[in-house]
Amino acid sequence: MRDWLYEPLTLGRFAGMALLIFGLLNVVLFLVTYAIYIQRKLLGWMQSRVGPNRVGPYGLLQTIADVLKLLTKESFIPSHVDRPLFLLAPIVAFAPAFVVFAVLPLTDRIAFSDIGVGLLFYIGVASLSTLGILMGGWASNNKWSLIGAMRAVAMMIAYEIPLVLAALGVVMQAGSLNLTAIVASQETVWNVVPQFIGFLVFLIAALAELNRTPFDLTEAESELIAGYHVEYSGFRFAFFMLAEYVYLFAMGALISLLYFGGWLPPHPALSFIPGGVWMALKTLLFAYFPFWLQATFPRVRVDQLMTFAWKGLMPLALVNIVLTAALKTAGVV
Amino acid sequence: MVGTGLLKGLGVTFKEMWKPKVTTKYPDEPYELPNRFRGIQKLYVDKCIVCYQCAHICPTQCITIQEKPKADPKQKKKELEVFDINFEICILCDLCTEVCPTEAIVMTSNVELAEYRRDALHKDMRWLEANNTNIRELNLPWKATSSSS
Repeated sequence: MRDWLYEPLTLGRFAGMALLIFGLLNVVLFLVTYAIYIQRKLLGWMQSRVGPNRVGPYGLLQTIADVLKLLTKESFIPSHVDRPLFLLAPIVAFAPAFVVFAVLPLTDRIAFSDIGVGLLFYIGVASLSTLGILMGGWASNNKWSLIGAMRAVAMMIAYEIPLVLAALGVVMQAGSLNLTAIVASQETVWNVVPQFIGFLVFLIAALAELNRTPFDLTEAESELIAGYHVEYSGFRFAFFMLAEYVYLFAMGALISLLYFGGWLPPHPALSFIPGGVWMALKTLLFAYFPFWLQATFPRVRVDQLMTFAWKGLMPLALVNIVLTAALKTAGVV
Repeated sequence: MVGTGLLKGLGVTFKEMWKPKVTTKYPDEPYELPNRFRGIQKLYVDKCIVCYQCAHICPTQCITIQEKPKADPKQKKKELEVFDINFEICILCDLCTEVCPTEAIVMTSNVELAEYRRDALHKDMRWLEANNTNIRELNLPWKATSSSS
């Protein structure tokens, strides 16, 4: 499939690509459906409960029932909202979440694009979702929504910078922004070892980007009801929800590509297992990791959040860059 | 050191995940109630002497009793014709079993009484006699201890 990217575009290849993209969308929707199920199960187990177990065997159809309920709800628009923005916001929030999958290579054979600035594209497009959140929060004409949306934007600005600076260490080491090249550069040792500080900063900043606990201030139930999507229900709410969980998988894939060698096995002796399996395992691990944190940590305060980003993560990321540069110049890595 | 608390917390939740759960899967798996639980009464028709004490003490007057007409006029023991408990109003207060001189009526720890029709909650003497699982082992412990000491 990767070969198609370098050959002329024919109608057949276009149709094949379109089919594969449709397939990917379905895979992503399936993963999101079961991510919500696994989230509820894990939270249940960690809180000494059994979790959903009523719909279907072991509650496996619970999320499907929830989705059906959401889709059959009345498509309700409150009278006091800014109508065009209100309608547009869920789409603006969700579309980038799926677009970023374009630059994430899944194995050495399966990739939907091979552009030179893949990492930059991911970070640039992923930031657009915050715009959708701000649009939704503003258009809802509701104080909770607006506060949630403002927090989302403030967090995005604060955490995008350490996120990018941490990723910069990886880019310096690989000498490329292309995610395939970054994975190829980890053939001998995964980036998580030489870039450990960068990895920690990236992981924390990624959690904040995903609005997961302990940084879930944008939809803090106990203070803001549901944050930016208070006024949304039914299908439009499902879109916001979908965007949030799709990013979980996109970020999981990005972390495994940048720091854990993507589809490379942990040891060359294990290379008989196909790369896709390794990639899937690593992605799922990092996609489900936030649920564990969610069961453990309380939410941080807004001022703590900002202090932590600007005074903690930023200098740490800068130190990481300087260290990487020094080691690179000395020829250690 | 800064941050060790976070790891400790993660360890707590991780260990908690594998422990047995506090909640139960009640309708799927039976839930064991203690033996002295006040559940649906069990009636021993043969032991009953039709003294009406249970019907008199009943705070909701849910017990209906009728004596069987004696076939032989010389027969002394009274026999039951009708013994109904209306579980629409019975509060399972345990008073009927406490006053019963012959322990003809005792509590069981069965509690499941849900029915689709309200009529079905009027349980008759045959049904109460057939309710013979999880019967209370020792009905009046203070009497048992006083008689033994």
